[in-house]
Amino acid sequence: MIVGERKPFDEIKEMVQDHKKIMILGCGTCVAVCMAGGEKEVELLAAQMRLAAKLDGKNVEVMEDTVTRQCDREYIEPILEKARECDAVISMACGVGVQLLSDLIEEIPVYPALNTRFIGTNEVEGVWLERCMMCGDCVLGKTGGICPIAMCAKGLVNGPCGGTNKGKCEVSNEKDCAWTLIYRRLEKQGKLDNIREIFPPKKYGLHVNPIRQVNEAYLHAEMEEHHG
Amino acid sequence: MKQAKKLLEEVGIEGDRVEMYNMGASDAPLFAAAVNEMTERARTLGPNPLKKRG
Repeated sequence: MIVGERKPFDEIKEMVQDHKKIMILGCGTCVAVCMAGGEKEVELLAAQMRLAAKLDGKNVEVMEDTVTRQCDREYIEPILEKARECDAVISMACGVGVQLLSDLIEEIPVYPALNTRFIGTNEVEGVWLERCMMCGDCVLGKTGGICPIAMCAKGLVNGPCGGTNKGKCEVSNEKDCAWTLIYRRLEKQGKLDNIREIFPPKKYGLHVNPIRQVNEAYLHAEMEEHHG
Repeated sequence: MKQAKKLLEEVGIEGDRVEMYNMGASDAPLFAAAVNEMTERARTLGPNPLKKRG
């Protein structure tokens, strides 16, 4: 999932200081699961905004809503009319949700309430770990399902380096050495020979912003349907 | 409760204005002590800043 973290309250407050009618829009998918921008967090931020407005002697109307996914048009469309009645929207989605919402209501400013941090897993309750850097050239098939790009502090594709320390990383004792994890996993799978393979340098050119992906088969089928 | 205090403090309201006490329904002395503590805190902190502008 995409992991986000709520911005400090003062930063959010400053962004919307000139607006009188604000909608706070949550997202019910990734950022809800990581307890940063779902329905509950919308309620909390709205309560804080109302209290702060009252303390500052300002008359600010704060509306609340949460959609299933802010990165899909079909989920945003039902709330557009309501959003257009506001001076501003605070989006509690990831950066993708903020941008799509802004594309759909261009004339109304959309402000981000979160910092979008990474894609990862929920380790234990309340803790998330980055697991994929979206490099576009996946090596997980060779590394026992553990990503050396995301999990190794140096992002080494040929490891471990000399900084591996009893299963931990020289950067921090709190970080596992990704290549030790990979070694142990390959050992369990009887595939330790994988570690002898020397990987060529990563193709970082695959990640040229913004990446666009096209499903040719789908587009072809669509065209056939329309033009016979 | 720690989180609730933090949220209030971010806005500019003292976190000490809210507290949670655990007690049984028959614990009248504990209840009275909690009320006294909160009354004392409210006296020290002064009027609720939200009401001042009320």
